[in-house]
Amino acid sequence: MTEPSLSETHTAAEPLLRIENVTKQFPQVLANDSISLTIQKGEIHCLLGENGAGKSTLAEMLYGVHQPDAGAIYYKGQPVKLSSPRDAIDLGIGMVHQHFVLVPPLSVVENIVVGTESVGPLLDLGQASRKLEALCAEYGVELDLQAKIWHLSVGQQQWVEILKALYVGVDLLILDEPTAVLTPQEADKLFAIIRKMRADGLSIIFITHKLKEVMAVSDRVSVLRKGQLVSTVNTTDMTREDLACMMVGREVVFQIEKDELTPGPVLLEISDLRAQDDRGHEALCGLSLEVREGEILGLAGVSGNGQRALFDVLTGARKATAGRVLLEGKDITNRSPRSIARRGVASVPEDRIHQGLIMDFGVDENLILGLQRESPFSKAGFLNRTAIGSFSRELIDSYEIMTPSATQVTKVLSGGNLQKVIMARELSQQPKCLIVNQPTRGLDVGATEYVRRRLLEQRDRGAAILLTSEDLDEIFNLATRIAVIFKGEIVGIFDAEEATIEEVGLLMAGGRE
Amino acid sequence: MTTPPNEGTSFDNRPSEGPPGDRSEGTVSSMEPRRLGWKIERRPHSSRAWEAGALLLALFAAFIVSSLLILSAGADIGESLRALVRGAFGSQNAIVETLVQSTPLIFTGLAVTVAFRGRIWNIGAEGQFFAGTMAAFWVATQFENLPPIVLIALVVFVGSVAGAFWGGIAGFLKARYGANEIIVTVMLNFVIMLILSFLLSDAWQDPNSFFYQTALMPESSFLPRLLGKGRLHLGFVLSILTAIFVYVLLWRTVLGYEIRAIGINPTAAGYKGISVATLTIIVLAISGAIAGLGGASELAGLHHRLRLDISTGYGFTGIIIALLGRLHPLGVVLASIFFGALVNGSLAMQISTGVPVALVQAIQGVTLIFLLTAEVMTRYRIRRVGADV
Repeated sequence: MTEPSLSETHTAAEPLLRIENVTKQFPQVLANDSISLTIQKGEIHCLLGENGAGKSTLAEMLYGVHQPDAGAIYYKGQPVKLSSPRDAIDLGIGMVHQHFVLVPPLSVVENIVVGTESVGPLLDLGQASRKLEALCAEYGVELDLQAKIWHLSVGQQQWVEILKALYVGVDLLILDEPTAVLTPQEADKLFAIIRKMRADGLSIIFITHKLKEVMAVSDRVSVLRKGQLVSTVNTTDMTREDLACMMVGREVVFQIEKDELTPGPVLLEISDLRAQDDRGHEALCGLSLEVREGEILGLAGVSGNGQRALFDVLTGARKATAGRVLLEGKDITNRSPRSIARRGVASVPEDRIHQGLIMDFGVDENLILGLQRESPFSKAGFLNRTAIGSFSRELIDSYEIMTPSATQVTKVLSGGNLQKVIMARELSQQPKCLIVNQPTRGLDVGATEYVRRRLLEQRDRGAAILLTSEDLDEIFNLATRIAVIFKGEIVGIFDAEEATIEEVGLLMAGGRE
Repeated sequence: MTTPPNEGTSFDNRPSEGPPGDRSEGTVSSMEPRRLGWKIERRPHSSRAWEAGALLLALFAAFIVSSLLILSAGADIGESLRALVRGAFGSQNAIVETLVQSTPLIFTGLAVTVAFRGRIWNIGAEGQFFAGTMAAFWVATQFENLPPIVLIALVVFVGSVAGAFWGGIAGFLKARYGANEIIVTVMLNFVIMLILSFLLSDAWQDPNSFFYQTALMPESSFLPRLLGKGRLHLGFVLSILTAIFVYVLLWRTVLGYEIRAIGINPTAAGYKGISVATLTIIVLAISGAIAGLGGASELAGLHHRLRLDISTGYGFTGIIIALLGRLHPLGVVLASIFFGALVNGSLAMQISTGVPVALVQAIQGVTLIFLLTAEVMTRYRIRRVGADV
């Protein structure tokens, strides 16, 4: 399969990888329908598509996780059959999954060496360390090789995965939505590294649904929609709008029209708030902020600067150690989540699955989560199934939640629909104040547009909205005013009209002066 | 079969072990390394037909292995199995006795079901069962002059309260101090049994007996028998009522909604205002009350005197029953009756064919293993990684 002569016969004209009419049928969906494409040596090739378009399935077939039902895969001109990831690795194909396969208590070196070295019973960590240090230096990665995985940030853990692939020596590296877990800065760094890989002659398949990344990094892009290849095009021939249209199958509005509106009086007042994170470190260090009726206050910041603690304190899930939160002038500091919710504060958490939903519940049960003790959903401790049913059918209808039925178990819904369930639940109570964290993270273009429209609707209705996001485009697109959070404090507040991305970006990175 | 509890969130009073929760989350993966070329994965969807098929297959496999065991003991297979079925369901008497055997299991199975639905691992149904028997015995001897109907109601009530108290201790320790409920409930089993064995050798020992047992409780506290003959007593009716109660609790009340919510995702439940700590105490108290009620029913309905072997591990068998019954009250009742039939039928088999006791227990064990395997296989499948489909 991999005779040495192959690398000699491999010429520029011949692609590194060629797949022909590859089809994959899963029990209920046709994940890939007769897809053909080529990957050249030394190119960055994006696979673009909405969630469920079949990108990951295609990649996993190239990595030997799944096997095609029909079609053929040619690698360096030879037909290959990848029946397990082992086969792919042996051929020089590596993959970094969305969820990392690392052992948290072990060090970086140990994680890389275990599972890749198989010579003899003893590990030569010293030699491995030297080789890894050289790789780090070559690619400009700063990483403590002796650090335990669980000490590392998510971004650093991704370097470990990439290093693992480089250490083994790959010709083709598949990155499955690598930026989903990264800050904008980390993502830029990732782009720099994969450009360096390209310069070294490696080929990269970059799976994403973010148009900005496609435009920023790729040479060519293959757009998938509903399991079919729409087209493979040169990135330079395309605009963002063209790609979005190919991906969604219709025109997409990027800049949502927002009517100018004069905000009302201050509704939510946070003064000198302090709180600790789960590890007992100071996460909020005297944060003060005001949100007015009818405005979206965009809170920009790199993740890990206290956004989560702020969300938790404002929703009652975490105790503040000092400071005050006033809603319409009334003190709601450290009240219970239920008491805060009953005063008209709704919230959309950043982690839909873990913080926002009970995945094994029916959609209807999730739509009343937090309201289960309120009339008409229960009476004298008994649930009123009729009221819950009609309430949820109404929300499913008006919030366009795609579900076979109201009692459908929630976990089968797509990411966009999960977010719609949360939005429907939180907005249904006509909140005075809305605390929103990363509302569009991981959502496709269509769902993102939907969420943003709903937020603007709420603003127009007069709600005070605190929108935390790492996506600066989102903040600039939606916010009335923009505040920047850094190390648990607000380091700058601007009117959205007057702020520039550069200014905000600088403050996010800690450049206060 | 069940996922481990979510640890390290601000709502969960369970102390987190190892690295802090939100960091390790990013590294936990669905893509396990595949070394052997085989992979166990969740079935995308399992149909009723498939579940029924797996069940039949399990019973058939258990039948084959049991037959081999019987053969090895030199007994006649046909005769042995006929004795088994006859012993379990062959006559009105046999059916009644099967239900008698299943009654305590229904209680403990339901007790475990309520706790496990809230993902609270109550391994202490055994101890809570004993707490129920002890309180029931005490109250019956203290108030023997009350009219029977009042005394019986009191016995049943006090038995549940004692079980609720014994379960509630574990709930309180977990809610207040984050003490692991598995350890606490297991230890409380020992505590209550040691208290009982002390009492049985001392204050409560029947003066007319050499055995470690109490005297008979007053007759006015006996639960009435249901049929003219046979040992079936009011406790069976109570167990069925309790099953209905558990169903209503879990799926028709706000409390049950919240119990199921914390059982699936305590973090999200906490964000939406459900107090995990408070519910933990309530759940363990309810679970304990059901087990305690089972203890009172078994004592006042059947044995009428307290001994250490009044439970033959009902609290632990209840865990198996609950899982076999898919944490559903109807499933629990069916699993309990099946277990009761197996126990009852195998006794008959032993008497009529002389198959030794150890073998009878082995047959029960084999049946259980196959049933649990079928249960797992309806939800998971083993797939050859890399094999062509």
